[in-house]
Amino acid sequence: MGLEVIDVAHSFGDRAALDGVSFEVVPGVLTGLLGPNGAGKTTLMRVMLGVLDPVRGEVRFDGRAVGDATRQHWGYMPQERGLYPAMRAGEQVVYFGRLHGLSRSDAERRAKALLEELGLLDRWGERTDKLSGGLQQRLQLAAALVHDPEVIVLDEPFAGLDPVAVASLSESLRQRTRDGRTVLFSSHQLDLVQDLCQDITMIDRGRIVLQGEVATLRGSSGRRQLRLHVSSPNRDWLLPFPGVAVVSDEADELRLAVPAGLDPLEVLDAARRAGPVADFGLDLPTLSQLFLAAAGDGRDLAGVRS
Amino acid sequence: MSGWWRGTRLVFQRGLLENLRSKSFRLGTAVLLLISAAFVTLPQVLGQGTPTYTLATVGRAPQQMVTALRAAGEAGRFTVRFVARSSAEQVQQTLRTGDATVGLAGDTLYVSAQGAGTFPVVVAQTLVSLETAQRLAAAGLTPQQVAELQSVRPPSQVTVGRVQDEGRGAVGFAVGIVLYMALLMGGSAIATTVALEKSTRISEVLLAVLRPSQILVGTVLAVGTATFLQILVLAAPVAVAAQVSDAVGLPSVAAGDIALAVVWFLLGFGLYAFVYAACGALVNKVTEVNSVTLPIVLALVSGYLVAILVVMDDPQSAWSVLASLFPLSAPLAMPLRWASGEVPVYQLLVAMALTAGAAAALVSVASSIYRRALLITGRRVRFREVVGTPDGH
Repeated sequence: MGLEVIDVAHSFGDRAALDGVSFEVVPGVLTGLLGPNGAGKTTLMRVMLGVLDPVRGEVRFDGRAVGDATRQHWGYMPQERGLYPAMRAGEQVVYFGRLHGLSRSDAERRAKALLEELGLLDRWGERTDKLSGGLQQRLQLAAALVHDPEVIVLDEPFAGLDPVAVASLSESLRQRTRDGRTVLFSSHQLDLVQDLCQDITMIDRGRIVLQGEVATLRGSSGRRQLRLHVSSPNRDWLLPFPGVAVVSDEADELRLAVPAGLDPLEVLDAARRAGPVADFGLDLPTLSQLFLAAAGDGRDLAGVRS
Repeated sequence: MSGWWRGTRLVFQRGLLENLRSKSFRLGTAVLLLISAAFVTLPQVLGQGTPTYTLATVGRAPQQMVTALRAAGEAGRFTVRFVARSSAEQVQQTLRTGDATVGLAGDTLYVSAQGAGTFPVVVAQTLVSLETAQRLAAAGLTPQQVAELQSVRPPSQVTVGRVQDEGRGAVGFAVGIVLYMALLMGGSAIATTVALEKSTRISEVLLAVLRPSQILVGTVLAVGTATFLQILVLAAPVAVAAQVSDAVGLPSVAAGDIALAVVWFLLGFGLYAFVYAACGALVNKVTEVNSVTLPIVLALVSGYLVAILVVMDDPQSAWSVLASLFPLSAPLAMPLRWASGEVPVYQLLVAMALTAGAAAALVSVASSIYRRALLITGRRVRFREVVGTPDGH
């Protein structure tokens, strides 16, 4: 069952920000909500969290419409930091834990465990505005996770993080997904997160352009490329595959676009029958390439970073 | 409802703790304590509590006069010094140089043009009294009879103004002044807290867990409590001094009037606090708070001016009745009108109900502004945008 967004629409004045968006986040499956800047990701998350009321559609969890009482047990990390600058790090996490319904002692116990996990325990008594940007980001995550939420929604959690922090945050999210939590995060850095997500929903201009399992989407795409190192210049063995296009043929490296529905191994076998193959590889399209293919040719890559 | 209070209480506790810990609160409280202590002690340190008057005479002042004036000084809280000069010209010269308050030469009393107060009258009365006593004794009266005649005193004076009850009038004034001070200190703190939550995007996290009314009521309670503590700090030295010595005089006030004053203070603070909170949600940067809250300060000052100019002048005029019922001016005008003693109880209750109702309505308006305005960043929000149709921003 999990978390369902059903036909949600929202508009700011005359401008439609979301137009009939539906998707599902399954517990235990790390799901990414992807798209360029301004696609409507933040608006969608705000609707899910009840910060904004949708014009149409609804959000359900385990088959029931979501109300304030249910959302109180969710964890939300907004895109921009939302921490009290003058508050001490530990107190901040305890405060958010108590807002989510924990008793003071429970909130303190869990805050300590979480800050330990995130490597922040020694900063417990420090003022929040004295922490570096990366540490504040981790503190923000702690504030969202302190009550061990069933549903975790994070808006652009990777924005502005260095590679070490990205790896550490990814591990935290994977761990919670393995524990059976329902985890959804958004990102405009499509290729940064393509190895992290299991499921994705891509939106552009308020509409869904692509959704499904990442491995299936990439594997079944018509944009797979077979890379071969062949010594013979003869290309006659390609004749039985009219759908296969030559992308490049330089020196001894041949790059072929393999259409959807054709097994790349059949092409490889034909090449091996024609002569020795020194090296080969199958390049799957990146998520940003998939996005561009799905969003249409009119799109440029301005808002999508790989 | 218990869930509503739980969240509101958490916001309140956090806000109060942060307020009490902040540098501006500590500094502000220290300054207020200094001002209050100075107000109590300075008049005594500077000797203004017991002024000194100097009497210049030709030759030494007669012993009887010295004794009588010293006694008058003790009764009237002033000190008398005596200087002797050799001639009337020298006595006048002493006054000109400011070395004496009053000069006596023959039948003439010279009075300094500055700061003589009632001292010349005291000296003249003493002279008349001594002369009368001498003549009465010469006429054959016994010293007891003379003393008996001199104990006759004029009736005591009581100043009567428009306001019937002096104590109540003072309470009315005090509510206005304290409310003005409290809102000047607390109002901008409330607006700043809300603006800070908006600019740091904490509001977005809070709105995912709390309702706007919980955030606003909790914040107003926290800042209100901190402000109330500061007012206590300001009032404590005065109250202690009034108890310990009678140098600081406070009008005696009935407990009922104090209770009424507290109710009006709370109503007025609540009403204006939510206006401040709503304005805080409209700004984009914390530094814009002052310009956006200026109209509130103007409304507050106008309310107070109306209360003093219109209500004090004629508590029963139509404008006075209107000012004492209209929510934004009622907390300032009604306590002053109530002091006239001519206000029907039902009008007092209606004014309170209207103010409380307006405060409650403002919670709802401010909540709506908070929810919508907090999601618009990057520019100042126009008031029209946040009170329009619910689906638009």
